[in-house]
Amino acid sequence: MDPKLTEVAQMFARFKAAYARNDLDACVTLLSQLKVQLTKFPSLPPLFQQAPNSVEELKLARDIYEHAVVLSVKLEDQDAFERDFCQLKPYYMDTCGIIPPSPEEYPILGLNLLRLLVQNRIAEFHTELELLPVKALEHPCIKHAVELEQSFMEGAYNRVLSARQAVPHETYVYFMDLLAKTVRDEIAGCSEKGYDSLSISDAKQMLMFSSDQELNQYITEEHPEWEIKNGSVFFQKAKESQPCKEIPSLQLINQTLSYARELERIV
Amino acid sequence: MPEDVQMNDSEPQPAAPTPAAAAPALSTLHHLKEIASVIEAGSLSKEVRRISRAVRLTVALRRRLAARDVSAFLGFALPASSEAYARLTALVPKEDDTEMDVDAAAPATQISIKHGLPEIEIYCYLLVLIFLIDQKKYDEAKACATSSIARLKNLNRRTVDVLASRLYFYYSYVYELTNSLAEIRGNLLALHRMATLHRDELGQETLLNLLLRNYLHYNLYDQAEKLRSKAPRFEAHSNQQFCRYLFYLGKIRTIQLEYTDAKESLLQAARKAPTSARGFRIQCNKWAIIVRLLLGEIPERTVFMQKGMKKALTPYFELTNAVRVGDLELFRAVADKFASTFSADRTRNLIVRLRHNVIRTGLRNISISYSRISLADIAKKLRLDSENPVADAESIVAKAIRDGAIDATIDHANGWMVSKETGDVYSTNEPQIAFNSRIAFCLNMHNEAVKAMRFPPNSHKEKESAEKRRERLQQEEELAKHMAEEDDDDF
Repeated sequence: MDPKLTEVAQMFARFKAAYARNDLDACVTLLSQLKVQLTKFPSLPPLFQQAPNSVEELKLARDIYEHAVVLSVKLEDQDAFERDFCQLKPYYMDTCGIIPPSPEEYPILGLNLLRLLVQNRIAEFHTELELLPVKALEHPCIKHAVELEQSFMEGAYNRVLSARQAVPHETYVYFMDLLAKTVRDEIAGCSEKGYDSLSISDAKQMLMFSSDQELNQYITEEHPEWEIKNGSVFFQKAKESQPCKEIPSLQLINQTLSYARELERIV
Repeated sequence: MPEDVQMNDSEPQPAAPTPAAAAPALSTLHHLKEIASVIEAGSLSKEVRRISRAVRLTVALRRRLAARDVSAFLGFALPASSEAYARLTALVPKEDDTEMDVDAAAPATQISIKHGLPEIEIYCYLLVLIFLIDQKKYDEAKACATSSIARLKNLNRRTVDVLASRLYFYYSYVYELTNSLAEIRGNLLALHRMATLHRDELGQETLLNLLLRNYLHYNLYDQAEKLRSKAPRFEAHSNQQFCRYLFYLGKIRTIQLEYTDAKESLLQAARKAPTSARGFRIQCNKWAIIVRLLLGEIPERTVFMQKGMKKALTPYFELTNAVRVGDLELFRAVADKFASTFSADRTRNLIVRLRHNVIRTGLRNISISYSRISLADIAKKLRLDSENPVADAESIVAKAIRDGAIDATIDHANGWMVSKETGDVYSTNEPQIAFNSRIAFCLNMHNEAVKAMRFPPNSHKEKESAEKRRERLQQEEELAKHMAEEDDDDF
């Protein structure tokens, strides 16, 4: 076996050992060294040069990046997640036929979908979704993310929250917790428009707070315009569109003049 | 350009294009020769218009092309010693030559062209490529396309651009037919760069569309959008290419949830496309229907009843019906029934997105019909099947209220929804705004139509007197200045 490959493989073994004993600092240092080492393999994307052990190299590199993605979730570092995922993606998309698909592929793709959902990047969520073949949509991890998005769009928020109990992969918990926060903000926004008032206990239950104090704190921080009195939360309605009393004369004059000008051009 | 010099060395013949009237029996070969003389005239007078005409004439001939016509034409148009001749004749299948000689001998004396014009050479490539594609000889077609592209890279003449853009198109088409579009992506990008450097706008337009098509073939919407937003834009040269561009743009925007813009692009593409491009218009309509549904609009029945599209649009008609009624059960049934059609159209994921619109419409119907209704009834009517339908219904209603789909309030303690009285729309500014947007649309349409009109240059020079012409030009100039000022005002 190629000495360089052996060296990287050994380093990766050390990384895995550190990961297993949950020594995250050591993991991070080893990972950055590994990434530097990977740049020396010409068979990796974007060059894809043919080499005798390119299959091993590609497999190893994919494995390393998969671990990097999972590690970034553990570190709760969303930016690192995005970077690592971008590096990993070519291995899933462009190496068909060179190396067999990874068993981790769909869980990680699902994780990425979830991340986009949490960050409310719905357009990118759908762009990624289009890239997946039909059979991928059947996979529990992908399906999980897709169903979440649907419930989210519909407004069935308790379905989103109950999905946390049924995560298909342990790494998903971090993002599901983040999602819960997003959902709370959404519910608060909807309640504001949908209700005139809510009793404190109902509001507490809806916004998933365990104590009145937490609710009070949330209201003072996020929605200071809400009012609490007589054991209920009163939402301040945004002003309704009033019937217009005044004719917007200036605007009308402008519009009419432009019609006249355009018509003159036609005739 | 060394290549050009070499080409000109080969025995120049006197250029003498003769009008077609002389030939009594117009064989395909004869037509081809006429086209060649049109190209030659275009090349010598540097008139791109003539070359476009030659391409159009070729397309008309396409069905009648036979192997012997093509090889006879190659013998006629290319010097036998040239590299292109050797390469192209090898690609055209051989047939018995006896007939050919009889046919070719007579008209050859009437039309002869100057050898060695690069336009003619490129035209030969194009002709052979079209012929090979029609004969379904894809491997040969690929070889022909590749060598023509290699040749094009060494040419920089504006009169070749029209032919080149057609060649690019067929180049990509062959690879699409053999399902290997990914292979040529790098090549197309290089060609696009070259066209940009040469200021070949038609080529840029064509290649950009081919690249977008290439990306979208593999659902690479992200890359497509990145390329599209960075590529230089200019006024469209070819209506067909512009239609395609609009269609791809519409698709990208649909995926990225910019429905309003997507609708505009798709409808414009469908409207601008020539009536003969039925398949293209059907595709545009399919996407436009979905986008309109996603926007919460219901397309009119006439959209589905357009001539020649009724059958293709049936699945979408039933889908629209389900959304209109707001019945989740029916929607699911339709989606299942036509699942294969939707997968083939690659609209499956979009239809999944529609589910939420179905619920919205259902909810709106309920809100209009009832002034007060319990949440449990709403859940039943919407057929929400989950563990906790009432809570689901409550949050769905809350979201619909926030998004402005319905005008109501929820009473949590009693568990019901109270619809608000619909106010008098005519007491607000709404009608005025709607009126303005419609007028603006019509005026814009008129201006676009005026701008889109094309006239061949110098066509009525002879008929007009000098004075009249001056007058007309002055008027035109004034009008143009006026329009330019208007445009500036708008920004």
